[in-house]
Amino acid sequence: MPAERLRAIWALMSLNGFLPLKRQPLFMVNTLTSPFSFLFIIFILGGPGAVPIGVAGGMVLTVLSIGTSLQADLTHYKQDLKFHEMAVASPVSAGTYVMGLALSEFVYSVPGMAVFIVLSLLYTHYVFLGGLLVFGTLVLLWVFASALGFTLATYLADVRETFAISPLISIALTVIPPVYYPASRLPAYLQPIAYLAPTTWAANLVKGAMGLAPITLLSAFEDMLVLAAAAAALFIVAWRKAQWRES
Amino acid sequence: MTEMLVARGLGRIYRWRGGQHEALVNVDLSVPKGVVLGLLGRNGAGKTTFVRIAATSLMPTSGSMEVLGHDVVHAAAEVRARIAVIPQESRPFYWMTAGELVEYYLRMRGETVSQARNQARDTLAELELSRWKDVQANRLSGGLRRRVMVAMVMASDAEVLFLDEPTTGLDPLARRSVWNAIRRAASERRTIVLTTHYLDEAEALSDRLAILEGGRLLASGTPADIASRVRHPYRVTLEGGFSEKELEGLGQVTHVGAKTLLFTGEEQARELARTALEKGRRISMGPVSLEDLFVQIVGKEISHEDEETEGPLAS
Repeated sequence: MPAERLRAIWALMSLNGFLPLKRQPLFMVNTLTSPFSFLFIIFILGGPGAVPIGVAGGMVLTVLSIGTSLQADLTHYKQDLKFHEMAVASPVSAGTYVMGLALSEFVYSVPGMAVFIVLSLLYTHYVFLGGLLVFGTLVLLWVFASALGFTLATYLADVRETFAISPLISIALTVIPPVYYPASRLPAYLQPIAYLAPTTWAANLVKGAMGLAPITLLSAFEDMLVLAAAAAALFIVAWRKAQWRES
Repeated sequence: MTEMLVARGLGRIYRWRGGQHEALVNVDLSVPKGVVLGLLGRNGAGKTTFVRIAATSLMPTSGSMEVLGHDVVHAAAEVRARIAVIPQESRPFYWMTAGELVEYYLRMRGETVSQARNQARDTLAELELSRWKDVQANRLSGGLRRRVMVAMVMASDAEVLFLDEPTTGLDPLARRSVWNAIRRAASERRTIVLTTHYLDEAEALSDRLAILEGGRLLASGTPADIASRVRHPYRVTLEGGFSEKELEGLGQVTHVGAKTLLFTGEEQARELARTALEKGRRISMGPVSLEDLFVQIVGKEISHEDEETEGPLAS
């Protein structure tokens, strides 16, 4: 990767991640609110025994929040600040722009992820190479969430629309699918539908890696493949359909 | 002379469910290297659409445009590497200081930290913004924010700058500091496309003008070219003493309070001056200003769209 591109990615990470966080630490709360609220409710209803499932779900939701935050930021920068146009009329490519901003959103989730990692070490028992599996799963989910955020942002006319879309995404991809509960709890006829959400596969992998659900090398490979395919498919959609330049 | 921007038959139609709007219609225009082009027109004339197509933010629906010798549709990456734009109504990130805004914009364009920092410092000094360097944008006035936006693109190494109403909302002194920065950029042989509603600004800065109305290019060329092509290139101000009958047929007459303004030709202006001297009447005259030209060209276009024989430009 050329040095100019790396510098651009770092600059975008800084201007949308480190700098706002330095000036207003409360920005971090936005990414953490939902995962920790769910964890709290699960703890109250299920007791300490339910915490591990809340931790696994929280990791998935935190990474997915990167996508919804990215969507809101991209829309704001495009429609309100016109920064998108300034970036288009510069050596920055669409990929560099999205990569820089997606990494900047990751900055906000680092403290939350750190807490979830500590909780997972306290409350769960990782299987062999489980940590690596969780890392790989969350990276693929991050690519999926970022591509989703970028694609949606190019079609939204105003930042207000993101207020309506973001909760829908969260509900459709983390609340309804078996992210915070085992897929086996769903009626049999609903289970295939649940697997339409890539987050179901991601949650399976994370839960399996933490020893919360059965997992084999083959099933992990299959789940990873599906998640990678979903991430790649949405990445291609973002590449081809998202509008870097207005048509 | 190297042409930095060439539009050929450029058109853009915005379509939506149940309707469409032609924002640009068959525009032919070229801008040589090192020139400041003043792009003039009323609201909705097509100025921003033109700039957005040139700055590769918007696709044209017909015709073609080349910037720096590259097609903006098929070779956008080559164009983008060498241009910069301040979009209309753009605003800075409120959490960043003036210095950070310029520095990080340059770093985003690929400059090193030290290059960006030095260039930011110099450009902010040039735009008289040094004292605001460490102040967050949300604490700056609207005018200062706009100047910081100008500093961001001026500090870049872009060869072609698109400035879409860069001085809107600035006080007269702040506008002049932006003008100085634009002049300096032009003196470095950078090409600048400037859209503005301030005709004094266009007059002060532009080597060439292009006047758009309803998406159509009504006139383009140097200010002198355009002035020489209008039907009434002289403005005569009369302070009483002339009857309507005396002025009849001499040109376009407008009454402003007790004064009468007459837009007329050079011969008629000389004749009026002689008459005024003979009769001891007060008169002042000179070539029309850019504002007069604009009003003549655009105003006539609006009121006499179908009257080809009485169009604003001399045949």
